[in-house]
Amino acid sequence: MNRKARKKAIRENLSSYAFLVPWLLGFFIFTLYPMIYSLYLSFTDFNMLQPPKWIGLRNYFVMFVGNDQFPRDERFLNSLFVTFRFVFISVPLKLVFALAVAMLMNQRLRLIPFYRTLYYIPTLLGGSVAIAVLWRRLFAGDGVLNAILSGVFNVNNPPAWISNPKYALYTLILLSVWQFGSPMIIFLAGLKQIPQEYYEAASVDGAGKTRQFFAITLPSLSPIIFFNLIMQMISAFQSFTQAYIVSGGQGGPLDSTMFYSLYLYLKGFAFSEMGYASAMAWVLLVIIAALTALAFKGSGSLVSYGSGE
Amino acid sequence: MKNRTARRISAFLSNFIIIVLGVGMLYPVVWLIAASFKESNTIFSDPGLIPKSFTLQNYIQGWKGIGIIGFGTFFKNSFIICTLCVIANVIFCSLTAYAFARLRFAGKNFWFAVMMVTLMLPSHVTTIPRYIIFRSFGWIDTFLPLVVPKFFATDAFFIFLLVQFMRSLPKELDESAMIDGCGKFGIYTRIVMPLTTPALITTVLFTFLWTWDDFFNQLLYLNSPSKYTVPMGLRLFVDSSGMSSWGPMFAMSVLSLVPCFILFFSLQKYFVQGIITTGIKG
Amino acid sequence: MKRIGLVLFTLLMSATIVFAQSGSVTLRWAYWGSESRIKRSQQAIDLFMAANPGIAVNPEISGGTGDHFNKVDTQIAGGSGPDIVQMGGNISDYVKRGVLLPLDKYVGSVLNTSVIDPSAIESGTIDGHLYGVSTGVTMPALVYNKSLLQRVGAPLPKVSMTYPEFRAYLVSIKSRLPAGVYPMQDIGALSSNSTPFGYWTRYNGTPLYNAETNMTAVTSAAAQKYLELFKDYRDNGLVPPADIASGFAETNADTSMIIAGKAAIGFIWTNQLNGYQAATTDELGLIEFPGAAATKALWQAPSQFYTVNKYSKNPELAVKFINFLVNSPEAAKVLGNDRGASASSTARAAGSTNVNDQKVLEYLNSAGPHSSKETTHLPNDTEFNSTLFLIYQRVAFGQISPATGGQQIYDLITRLIKK
Repeated sequence: MNRKARKKAIRENLSSYAFLVPWLLGFFIFTLYPMIYSLYLSFTDFNMLQPPKWIGLRNYFVMFVGNDQFPRDERFLNSLFVTFRFVFISVPLKLVFALAVAMLMNQRLRLIPFYRTLYYIPTLLGGSVAIAVLWRRLFAGDGVLNAILSGVFNVNNPPAWISNPKYALYTLILLSVWQFGSPMIIFLAGLKQIPQEYYEAASVDGAGKTRQFFAITLPSLSPIIFFNLIMQMISAFQSFTQAYIVSGGQGGPLDSTMFYSLYLYLKGFAFSEMGYASAMAWVLLVIIAALTALAFKGSGSLVSYGSGE
Repeated sequence: MKNRTARRISAFLSNFIIIVLGVGMLYPVVWLIAASFKESNTIFSDPGLIPKSFTLQNYIQGWKGIGIIGFGTFFKNSFIICTLCVIANVIFCSLTAYAFARLRFAGKNFWFAVMMVTLMLPSHVTTIPRYIIFRSFGWIDTFLPLVVPKFFATDAFFIFLLVQFMRSLPKELDESAMIDGCGKFGIYTRIVMPLTTPALITTVLFTFLWTWDDFFNQLLYLNSPSKYTVPMGLRLFVDSSGMSSWGPMFAMSVLSLVPCFILFFSLQKYFVQGIITTGIKG
Repeated sequence: MKRIGLVLFTLLMSATIVFAQSGSVTLRWAYWGSESRIKRSQQAIDLFMAANPGIAVNPEISGGTGDHFNKVDTQIAGGSGPDIVQMGGNISDYVKRGVLLPLDKYVGSVLNTSVIDPSAIESGTIDGHLYGVSTGVTMPALVYNKSLLQRVGAPLPKVSMTYPEFRAYLVSIKSRLPAGVYPMQDIGALSSNSTPFGYWTRYNGTPLYNAETNMTAVTSAAAQKYLELFKDYRDNGLVPPADIASGFAETNADTSMIIAGKAAIGFIWTNQLNGYQAATTDELGLIEFPGAAATKALWQAPSQFYTVNKYSKNPELAVKFINFLVNSPEAAKVLGNDRGASASSTARAAGSTNVNDQKVLEYLNSAGPHSSKETTHLPNDTEFNSTLFLIYQRVAFGQISPATGGQQIYDLITRLIKK
């Protein structure tokens, strides 16, 4: 590059970086140090009240290998499996519901704003105690669901869903799917950004509703679908509040709802093993990063940014 | 003729499905509201939907708060924090997103990956180092730790969200603006921001809701009761070892939903307005 | 531009509000509680501040022990913990980790211990030093639903029974209770299950932990007997089956089987009676754990402690405040029995107008002679509670036998002692 072109390129870079300055500052001041510190903690035994004690790779060793002196942590592996199951069932379901309802809401029906609010209410209730109380009411052995099953459908002896180790996780999956309001709103925003002209032109060309969906809606929405997929996956892996309040902080019954983040929290704050919890955090980060990188790689052909890029 | 009937039927079906599903969505909220009108000692021993004894006492008592500070103060504090966070996120996350979505610079992919990674570390393990940082600034017992980071675009969720929305805008708009003499900042303010309104409104809504509910950070940094927020106040109604005021807690939980509800409802019209791309052929 | 200016202005305003404090000393007092305790504590604070100008007390209140300890631990780790910290049974963990101030040098001068019940002082003395001043006394008890039993025409339980009598009683009321209601809650399946287990080990003559020898007397056979006891109850319908039982963690009224009216008998601490009674229209009563009279296996626990953070910048003033809370008559009047029944026998003799407090006092008076000194808490108490809970559930769900469960419990205890 000759000097003039290089000077132009540098100026170009600098003026672009100007936009990044707030984020860069924030990253270096508020994010980088905590992340590095927590990485350091993952190699220590730290009970929060006394200074951290260096123990090398022992935390990671106990998580995955274990020996006689430091037996392997079965509860850790269990929490990993529970969380994987939760993520891979709840995320697709949630996205399907969110998109379906968003499309329903995208019409010019009467009272649509009211309906939209209705569907967002479960998410508004978030992680409040009310949700936990409610969920137990619905899915307990003598709860509402079983009353309906035995009363209306004549099912004999339905299980106590929320307190049975085989089914408890599914009640939490249901809770997560029920709170599909956030991805739904994002889909709605995405749908609104698709120019009406596309659909009008397609109608004129004789394309039916289904054809329009696959030829216009899905491709235009693909960056948003991708966003929701990634973000829901990340947030599902880190899911904590619902499991905490519904299981009373225990991850029961029989650790069947012991989400990874819940176990991490217990280890860090309740059992005073903040070093171990930090190691767990970094393992999760690696898992999530790997899956996200895979998704980004795989999205190349599927995600179209219109005429943008 | 056929078309009109077909359209009417599909409208009816849509309405029907929406209503039926909607009722399912509503049950918990109805229960919550019903519980808020029940006497405290009947909420759990008599868990039906219709209160056998109706009382307004929960709201009156609940509003008085925890005896020394009333809920009015809690609401005020929550509002201040949430509003500041919303302003910060809308401005600074969009600035950052614009850079990633639209501008060229060396190291872009690297920094984008870094930004994504900041989303992946569970926050429980960064509480202690963050506390240390804020303590060294002398910000303990103020709103600052809850608000200032947002002014530095630490909420990567919204950066990523806005990036995805901005990338789907046609580049020709930028190019024609540049020909008209607009600089980068001009394109940002005049073209990109107006056209990503739905995503910005989403940012407003989610920032407000999530900050409103951010219990643990509020608990950690706000020491003086006069600075406590709504979620902290709600938690103070229920004591694990002794007296619990369930009725007032549920009443104030219902009240706590109201601002979120109103915000959501009033932002609706921004979801209705689409974007006008007249003059541009896709 | 205008918006940015507005924002900076707001930041500046909040900063000035924060920093505009008078040049007095501020003590930070962290405790947990809800409305009635908060009001009373604030009255005590106001009285203290009126009598001590120049000292301000800032209460830092959390709703429950979970929030309280999360916050306190993080603050201490971050280098700025509160001055006066409320503690529970986990005080020995905090002493072991060296974050609490020994109060011995203030005894006699700033802190008057001569008027406090010696057992209250003893319970706060660890390794020969006084670390915490007890706020009051609580005891484990079995709570029963008097109204429910009366409704179904079942006999009311006696306050003191032996284990065979107790079992016979459960059988006698089982036939009268409607379907879906059980004679007793499965108290091994509660989130605070280590207390019933701790009682059993004392009853069995094999206490859980001896602080001086740093050993446990529990054997896997003893733990196995405990699991078999409850398996017998479960197999005979005296406690609910595992999947029903695990729906009621008994963390609070919303997860309580007693409040839901699904069990006639359950486990609580005496200082919870007020809260439980307030959550139901049925009348509740208290009886002892079976077998306490013969073995004196019950115990009086300090309900909470006032302790001082070792890194406090104003330790002497902090102790002065604690002395005020515990000893001054004005403070005692406003604080009442809120933090446990008073450790002073004279205060107890004065009685109370609250009917629940009366029931508690009656229970304390009858169960007092059936108690002996409390066993020191096992190190890493929280982890013990959580893992014991898991092992118990495995037996309850039939995944492992009581023998295997007993062995796992023994291994758990020895591991936690070594940790």
